[in-house]
Amino acid sequence: MSAPVFELRDVSVAYGKIEAVRRVSLELGAGRIVTVIGANGAGKTTLLNAAMGILPAGGEIRFEGRALGHDSIEARVAAGISLVAEKRELFATMSVEDNLRLGAYTRPRGERVAAALEEVYTLFPRLKERRKQASGTLSGGERQMLAMGRALMARPKVLMLDEPSLGLAPRIVKEILHLVADLRRTGVAILLVEQNARAALRIADYGYVMETGSVTLHGPADTLANDPRVIESYLGFAECAA
Amino acid sequence: MDSTIVLFLAQDGVTNGAIYALLALSLVLVFTITRVIFIPQGEFVAYGALTLAAFERGVFPMTAWFTVALGLAAFAADVIRDPAARRPRRLAKALAGDIGAPAALLLATWVAVPLKLGPLAEVPLTLAMLALLGPFLYRLVFQPLAEASVLVLLIAAVGVHLAMVGLGLLVFGAEGFRTAPLTAAMFEVGPALVSGQSLWVLGVTGGLIAALWAFFEHTLTGKALRATAVNRLGARLVGIPTTAAGRIAFALAALIGALSGVLIAPVTTVFYDTGFLTGLKGFVAAIIGGLVSYPLGAAAAILVGLVEAFASFWASTFKEVIVFTIIIPVLLWRSLRSTHVEDEE
Repeated sequence: MSAPVFELRDVSVAYGKIEAVRRVSLELGAGRIVTVIGANGAGKTTLLNAAMGILPAGGEIRFEGRALGHDSIEARVAAGISLVAEKRELFATMSVEDNLRLGAYTRPRGERVAAALEEVYTLFPRLKERRKQASGTLSGGERQMLAMGRALMARPKVLMLDEPSLGLAPRIVKEILHLVADLRRTGVAILLVEQNARAALRIADYGYVMETGSVTLHGPADTLANDPRVIESYLGFAECAA
Repeated sequence: MDSTIVLFLAQDGVTNGAIYALLALSLVLVFTITRVIFIPQGEFVAYGALTLAAFERGVFPMTAWFTVALGLAAFAADVIRDPAARRPRRLAKALAGDIGAPAALLLATWVAVPLKLGPLAEVPLTLAMLALLGPFLYRLVFQPLAEASVLVLLIAAVGVHLAMVGLGLLVFGAEGFRTAPLTAAMFEVGPALVSGQSLWVLGVTGGLIAALWAFFEHTLTGKALRATAVNRLGARLVGIPTTAAGRIAFALAALIGALSGVLIAPVTTVFYDTGFLTGLKGFVAAIIGGLVSYPLGAAAAILVGLVEAFASFWASTFKEVIVFTIIIPVLLWRSLRSTHVEDEE
């Protein structure tokens, strides 16, 4: 595999004295989908927030070979890293189209935003139908689509998705994850955090399992999906639920 | 009380109300974007009026020096605190904005004062000086506190207010000033006599509100400011820097404050501490709008102006008391009716 676009080395995050993430290392190549699975409270969201610069972290985070250090969230977005947060963080009172246009805020002013907008509308035709509507009035699935579309407007090289399936009906989850798998073709590297381990491993190339702040297991997604430890802890319940 | 008096009081009320509306708008603007309750708003009103008055008397307005001093301090704070600000492009931009612009204004003021160029040159100079002061103040006081609670920000705002009142006394003296009216014209509209000055105030207020609306509705920068107000983290996630939004909000608030000062200067004698009371009336209106609603705040401001005008006719000693009492039923109604929104974060 070529040099990774995005790399975490021994990343640790602490809330006061409690270490929520302990020495996590992972890497991500262009056009690949890497997933981090684990139970609620394993530190997955904390890890993404640290990678985005929302939380201060120990260790090293490298993007295209360059250490990000104390770069702000805004600087990371401008460099080509985007996060779709667990709570989506949309501009509720503003229209769908305004949300998307603001997604391109860091792009050079002369650039044709219209082209990027068309691409997003092609990916998510539902958003085009609702483009004049206030984003606060959208359904859960549409909000997730809008959050993803808004992140894509910045033309990121690394896209981090925090629990895109959270709170969505199973049919919508399938649709969203299908769209995530489709994004691979655009060459973006995707870091997908999911509690829905079965669905995540199905579309990912590689996976990491997190438990109480540390990575306990990692490997190619299909190997992980057949690993008895993973099946017992993370897939067994999903089997019952399905 | 006959209809002439009613019409006269109504005109007075609406004119003052328009000024309060401007102040209410800028308070809402600053609060939604930065969570700062902008107590020093009134000082910008007083500084605006007194700076213009100094120009008129042919006295060099010390405000120009004040802007230069704060600009230097803001520049130093940027360069010392933020390593990214030392990159050549950022440095050149900061040098131009923090040092170049105030220095240019100082020079222009120095040239303009003895020439007595009249309001057409003096009003823009006054507004430019004070509009620059806003972002410098944000950089020095509020940007380092960006993550603090609303209460801490409020305390800092009160501190800035006290410092600016004191400095105002030092710079402008204890004497009050009034500027020449922009126009002495009077118009007869039906039974009422409308002063040209009132029309100026209403026209400028209306124009400014329209301009602000267009800015927030149709420009990317305006939308980015709204986005910051709606969802701060969301705004950062699309790459809108909170600090830039804060600086723009403070620049607009300072400009609006100074403009209000310029508009009231011909009709009221302004002292170094007059602004506080004027600002508070804008604040009452902003509170009625819940500190978030622009149209409600503006409408409430007109109401405040009318109540003030009629109160000063019937019970002039209780004028201020009556105006500030309006806030009590409003707060009661709000706290009973609306669900309480906890301080975010």
